[in-house]
Amino acid sequence: MNVVVCVKQIPDPAQPGQLDPGSKTLKREGKLILDDSDAYGVEMALLLAEKAGGGEVTLVSMAPNGETSGLRTALAMGAAKAILVSDDSLAGTDALGTAKVLAAAIKRAEPDLIVAATESTDGYTGTLPVQVAEILGLPSVTFAKSVDVADGKVKVNRQTEAGYDEVECPLPALITVTAGVVEPRYPSFKGIMAARSKPVEQLTVADLGLSADQVGAAGARQEVVDVTAAEERKAGEVITDEGDAHERVVAFLDQLKLI
Amino acid sequence: MFEWTEEQNMLREAVRKFVETEIAPNINELEHGDTPPYDTLRKMYKTFGMDAMARAGFEARIKREKEGPAATSERRSGGGDAGAGFMLIPIIELCRYCPGMVTAMGVSVGLAASAIMSKGTIAQKERWGVDLLTLDKIGSWAITEPGSGSDAFGSMKSTARRDGDEYVLNGSKTFITNGPYADTIVFICKLDEGNDPKDRKVLTFVLDSGMPGLEQSKPLRKMGLHSSPTGELFLSDVRVGRDRLLGETEEQPSREGAKETFSMERTGVAAMALGIVERCLQESVAYAKDRVQFGHPIGEFQLIQMKLAKMEVARLNIQNLVFRQIEMGAAGKGMSLAEASACKLYAAQACMEVALEAVQLFGGNGYMAEFGVEQLCRDAKVLQIYAGTDEIQISQIARSLLS
Repeated sequence: MNVVVCVKQIPDPAQPGQLDPGSKTLKREGKLILDDSDAYGVEMALLLAEKAGGGEVTLVSMAPNGETSGLRTALAMGAAKAILVSDDSLAGTDALGTAKVLAAAIKRAEPDLIVAATESTDGYTGTLPVQVAEILGLPSVTFAKSVDVADGKVKVNRQTEAGYDEVECPLPALITVTAGVVEPRYPSFKGIMAARSKPVEQLTVADLGLSADQVGAAGARQEVVDVTAAEERKAGEVITDEGDAHERVVAFLDQLKLI
Repeated sequence: MFEWTEEQNMLREAVRKFVETEIAPNINELEHGDTPPYDTLRKMYKTFGMDAMARAGFEARIKREKEGPAATSERRSGGGDAGAGFMLIPIIELCRYCPGMVTAMGVSVGLAASAIMSKGTIAQKERWGVDLLTLDKIGSWAITEPGSGSDAFGSMKSTARRDGDEYVLNGSKTFITNGPYADTIVFICKLDEGNDPKDRKVLTFVLDSGMPGLEQSKPLRKMGLHSSPTGELFLSDVRVGRDRLLGETEEQPSREGAKETFSMERTGVAAMALGIVERCLQESVAYAKDRVQFGHPIGEFQLIQMKLAKMEVARLNIQNLVFRQIEMGAAGKGMSLAEASACKLYAAQACMEVALEAVQLFGGNGYMAEFGVEQLCRDAKVLQIYAGTDEIQISQIARSLLS
């Protein structure tokens, strides 16, 4: 079974991020790393391919400056190859534009299953996976907390607020996985050494048959119009017990709808 | 080499995550509880495929050796190796939290297994070597005795006596890393032929835990490295066949073999020192920014800045020594004993100084176990003592210069 995993390479969250004052979006000039939330998808894909007893895992990513650092991490975990779309004309691409690019790249891999995270750790739009599925005309199942593939179908326990739904759909399909789906493996010594020689196909927008006006700032239908600093966390309220502290604590929690 | 490669950085990050997940939260149990380090080390070996790599490397080496001298003389290709320095990275990363783990691992794999792999027969390598290299079994390398430390060979009292086709071993060893739990013990002693002890041949035997006459003590209490069990060994008429004599010949140059082992042991200390220094510096910088006294973060005071700057100088120097080792390894070259001594002497002294300064920078908090630098400071001291004291390194360097 061939599985494609959509992976995002993001600025290291351990470093303080910077916004581009012009586009009001995150600066992505330096070294990028594999988005932690994608490690779960990579692990899930590797487990499904191993269980199927054949096939391979292909990574699909879009990043500036031909950046491959994050891809190498996922290749070291065991993915077989990667497709990277990198093109100056992609600067300023919105979520839908990204979905068009990824969908075009995914088509080339002819996967049985596409796996993505529910959302990225830097953008948090959470809209991209279903857009990719829609463009490819494939069914999608989101928020998978467990995944199984059998008899040409993908069976998913889909996380909901109340519990989970049991959902299944025919392959090919797209699923998004939550952080709880599996525990990502560590890359092994051998995996890290092998990652350098695994193929990373670098493509431009033209290679995908897309025109420059469909992507980038020119093709974007979304615009970040304003950015404001997050409100600083306020100091907590100190309740001095005068015999009624327990009632005030209960009222406080009740107000937050925690009880 | 002037910086870590992409692959090395990837491995460092992965091993660091493992250490921070598996070791850091359990550090009190590992340091002060009754849990030996071996299961955690085995988990690390399995997680990163180090056990499978060790086994594959062993099998390839034995195959070459069985094919004959022509095959074994082929040198490994040097340079451009993606895996260069990989074996040093777990040492560095483990030492950021738990240098004792490295000591337990290093003695088993680096000393006991290496002694067998360099001087043993093929049968001995297959019998004991492979299980030590994969950490399936734990090894000790027993040379130090109550009366012989720096003068390891001159004062050695442990003996082997011939008795028919067998040998009878007697003696006691102390400060033996992994001694309380070792499955396999590399035991160094002198052949007693009734001659003057100083003229006796040095022989090395391989022993198994549980052999009649062999007693392994409980762990000794010590200043640091609490996660590394250290013990005594007592041998009372332990009877062994020639199959346990390393190399199965009395003509083995065991002194030379031991010296090769010393050299390897010494080069590992720089990587250990780097891990300790990196963490001390990282914790000290964070504390200097966070700790406010007299209305200012203490990092604004010049005396604190001087400590941080000196720590950074030490970090850069030790890192350069590690880079040199990686480059030499990739080129298929090893350090001379004198160079390894110089390397170890500097790294150990610089590490001790950094760890003491970290405790000082943290003040009262530094003296408390909770902040971590106290443990690293106690652990760092051993780097100036084991694998040859500073004084022995100095005399080794001077001897080489004056010879």
